[in-house]
Amino acid sequence: MARAKAEQQPAATGTTLIVLVGLGIAFLLFMAFLNVVKSGNILNETNLLYAALIFYAGAGALYLGFGVTGTESYVKFASFATWAGLLANTAAVAHRWYEAGHPPFASVYEMLLSFVWTLAVLTLIAEKKYDVKVIGTVTMPVAIVGVVLMQLLRSEVHPLVPALQSTWLHVHVTLAMLAYAACALSFALAMMFLIQDRMKTETFLAVTSACTVAIYAGILTRFEQWGGLNVAAWDPEQKSEIFLSKGVRLFVTIPDLGWLMMLTLVVVASPLVFLLIARLKKNETTVTFANQAVFVSILLQVMALVMFLIRARDERYPSLDAEGLFTTNLAANPFILSGLVGGVFISLLYLLLLWRRPDLERLLPNADNLDRITYKTICIAFPLLTLMIAAGAYWANQTWGSYWSWDPKETWAAITWLVYAGYLHMRVTRGWRGRRAAYFAILGFAVVMFTFFGVTYLLPGMHAYA
Amino acid sequence: MAVEFGKAIRKTWQTLASIKTGVVLLILVVIFSAVGTIVLQRPVTEPEEMRNAYSPQALRILDAVGLTDVFHAWWFITLMLLVSLCIVAASIERFPNAWRHFSRPYKYADEGFRRALHPQKQIAISDEESGLVAAERALHAIGFKPERVVREDHFSIFAERNRISEMGVYIVHASLLLIFFGGIVDGIWGWRGALNLNEGETTSSVELRDGSTRTLPFSIRCYEARQENYKDGTPKKWWSKLAVVSGSHEVLKKEIVVNNPLVYRGVRFYQSSFGFNGNVQKLVLEASPTAGSGENKEITFALNDMATLDADTTVHFAEFIPDFAVRDGQVYRKSNQLGNPAAHLVVNVNSTGKAFDIWLPAMEGVAENAQAPYQFKPKDLVLGHFTGLQVSHEPGQWTVWAGVVLMGLGLGFVFYVVHMRFWVVPVRDTRTGEYALWIGGSANRNRDAFEQRFNDLVAKLETELKKSVAMPSVNIETVAAR
Repeated sequence: MARAKAEQQPAATGTTLIVLVGLGIAFLLFMAFLNVVKSGNILNETNLLYAALIFYAGAGALYLGFGVTGTESYVKFASFATWAGLLANTAAVAHRWYEAGHPPFASVYEMLLSFVWTLAVLTLIAEKKYDVKVIGTVTMPVAIVGVVLMQLLRSEVHPLVPALQSTWLHVHVTLAMLAYAACALSFALAMMFLIQDRMKTETFLAVTSACTVAIYAGILTRFEQWGGLNVAAWDPEQKSEIFLSKGVRLFVTIPDLGWLMMLTLVVVASPLVFLLIARLKKNETTVTFANQAVFVSILLQVMALVMFLIRARDERYPSLDAEGLFTTNLAANPFILSGLVGGVFISLLYLLLLWRRPDLERLLPNADNLDRITYKTICIAFPLLTLMIAAGAYWANQTWGSYWSWDPKETWAAITWLVYAGYLHMRVTRGWRGRRAAYFAILGFAVVMFTFFGVTYLLPGMHAYA
Repeated sequence: MAVEFGKAIRKTWQTLASIKTGVVLLILVVIFSAVGTIVLQRPVTEPEEMRNAYSPQALRILDAVGLTDVFHAWWFITLMLLVSLCIVAASIERFPNAWRHFSRPYKYADEGFRRALHPQKQIAISDEESGLVAAERALHAIGFKPERVVREDHFSIFAERNRISEMGVYIVHASLLLIFFGGIVDGIWGWRGALNLNEGETTSSVELRDGSTRTLPFSIRCYEARQENYKDGTPKKWWSKLAVVSGSHEVLKKEIVVNNPLVYRGVRFYQSSFGFNGNVQKLVLEASPTAGSGENKEITFALNDMATLDADTTVHFAEFIPDFAVRDGQVYRKSNQLGNPAAHLVVNVNSTGKAFDIWLPAMEGVAENAQAPYQFKPKDLVLGHFTGLQVSHEPGQWTVWAGVVLMGLGLGFVFYVVHMRFWVVPVRDTRTGEYALWIGGSANRNRDAFEQRFNDLVAKLETELKKSVAMPSVNIETVAAR
């Protein structure tokens, strides 16, 4: 059996590697799980989430393996693992619901829990109903990042403050989760369309490099002189960030980490430079340099991630704004962490595309179908967005006495709505199909992500719950 | 001149109605709204905070351009009006055509139409009538109500479903206009303010957002306000018992909680906060003489009250501090939140003229509790509360909700209701002279699913035709005899 497989896949060195890595991850997590089981109380939420993480990670590895090798049996196991992960995830949601006495929508942690659940459900639907088998390659890493973030965020059950005690909370947040998950799916589909539409691999390289450059540029806004990196301080007893005054966080400086991030930025930017040179000189060999630079950048990114994990984990550092040493914690910096992990994933996805493009093209539905399914998902997402905003407005009217206050979250929700409205108009009246529509869908999802995460952390406002 | 003028108007109208203008306007709205979320906005942000965030020059420029209050700036409102106008113009420009389509459905498929339509199919039949009957049966079978269309010398069949779907887009656009209209009405005639009411008080004046005061034509009274906490001390529920007083009698009574306001004549009162107002309604103490003899005495008083302990001694409730701290022999008020409360009593002995500062709890270096002729033990404390109410009047909100419902409906029609039409026309091949049934169908969206349905119909029709052929041959004979 193993021999037959080896014969089917003559150049399988890369394959075996990736599958082994996947199995290794699953094995490690499984050992951790066994330890948890030994300690007694099995069915608590942390363990359920752990189980979900293991299965999602396994599914992600298998989807990746399928994407690389095209071995049909992988996808069967992958969707089996997704089912198992979804089961554990459902149990975690139910447990949470039971413990808290309200549906899990009241904090960032609880919303992530619901979001990951919805994403897993949609992945299975897309796979079964629309036959988009490799979609898990994109969605499972997102689910994994979500579950990892959840492990770091505060997870105690908080009772609902008076403003949140409303049925409209549940209506509003359920609709938001469904809408956002549908947007995420449309994004993944649009990306696959671009692959199937024979968009140049170099263009993908430019986009993925630009994304990673943006991530590291964002991280480096926290660059401090002498090469330090500012991260939020964390109070381990209160389990919260330390605030100097209302809305102003205390930052501590991790020395030298800034240089590493700077170096990584230079390396992740280098493929862009090589591409530019290749364009100008019309010299194809420079493109190979660009691809090699991606390789190097992955190594550096992993190093940056590992250094960050080691150094930002419960150590004490000085701060520029206050006397003494303060601790920091991974939980205080969820966005740097998810940025670092996300960067590695983006680059890996590019490598997958670079190596196995013909296989991927063979495995995906044809471009027209993908284009149509993208449109269909947006046709589902748009009314959901509308209803989400309407439910939020009605609830705000009951709580604050005003249905629209131009609060940043509200405004960005409206902007999201406008962007998708633009997509629909362009498609219907101007007949925008194919690439332009796909770009639009990608832009829409970027705005959704900003509304979901960016507004909460970057902009002031009264949507303080999430 | 007049012609030129008319031309200019037409040109403006067409520009307004074009999708390009719409998109440009929407992009502008998006950009300015985004700016409005990034630049700190008045009046939500305190002036001091604004001064800290921006340099004086920057702030002056931002204020002058209106970027510190984007959503109420004249140019933003103008922009929104332009968007509304654009929607109106675009709808008017396109509506008549769609309305014609909607009100006078195209029922007879003529030759040109038949040639271009997809999907379509021709099935051989023996004669017109049996073919049409079979088609009617097949259409019924897939849930359509066919109607016969008479055209000159022959019949054809038309069947459709969900014609309303064609109107969906206009419903959505109309609903947007309704929402804008409601918003504008509220912007002009609506107002918002806040009201802090102590328990037992009645008032009719509301402090508005801009700092001015508005007097209501009725008053509002608060009987009681309370906060309920979870075990960990975070607030679980705020409620207040309110009454509306009009003239001299109460016309409405309601207990409000967060998310459930009191509404009277279009004015809504929302529970938004709750607090301790600094008053003590009742303090109950047990006083026992320091020098052993004599019985204990229970005294009850409010802040600033005086109580007699015996013929020679009185006690005065001088001060109540909701949250105290001691520093350098002084008692400070740390905050007005109820945290670490302390009561200050003064015991006067008339015969000696001596006064003792009593603190409950006793603080070292400040309190003279031990020296005083009486010792006090707190038994009960009832504090005065205020309820924080938001008051708003939004005459346009019902228009907005109507718009929202309409939009939900419209979007439902746009995305999930498909206008499906079928035409069945008997045709005769000019060369061979054989009869055939031409069937065509069209759907305004989701065409793959429709094609499936079309194939179903054709399959059903074929079985129906076979059935009629298999039936007793009497029919054919009679036709032949004629």
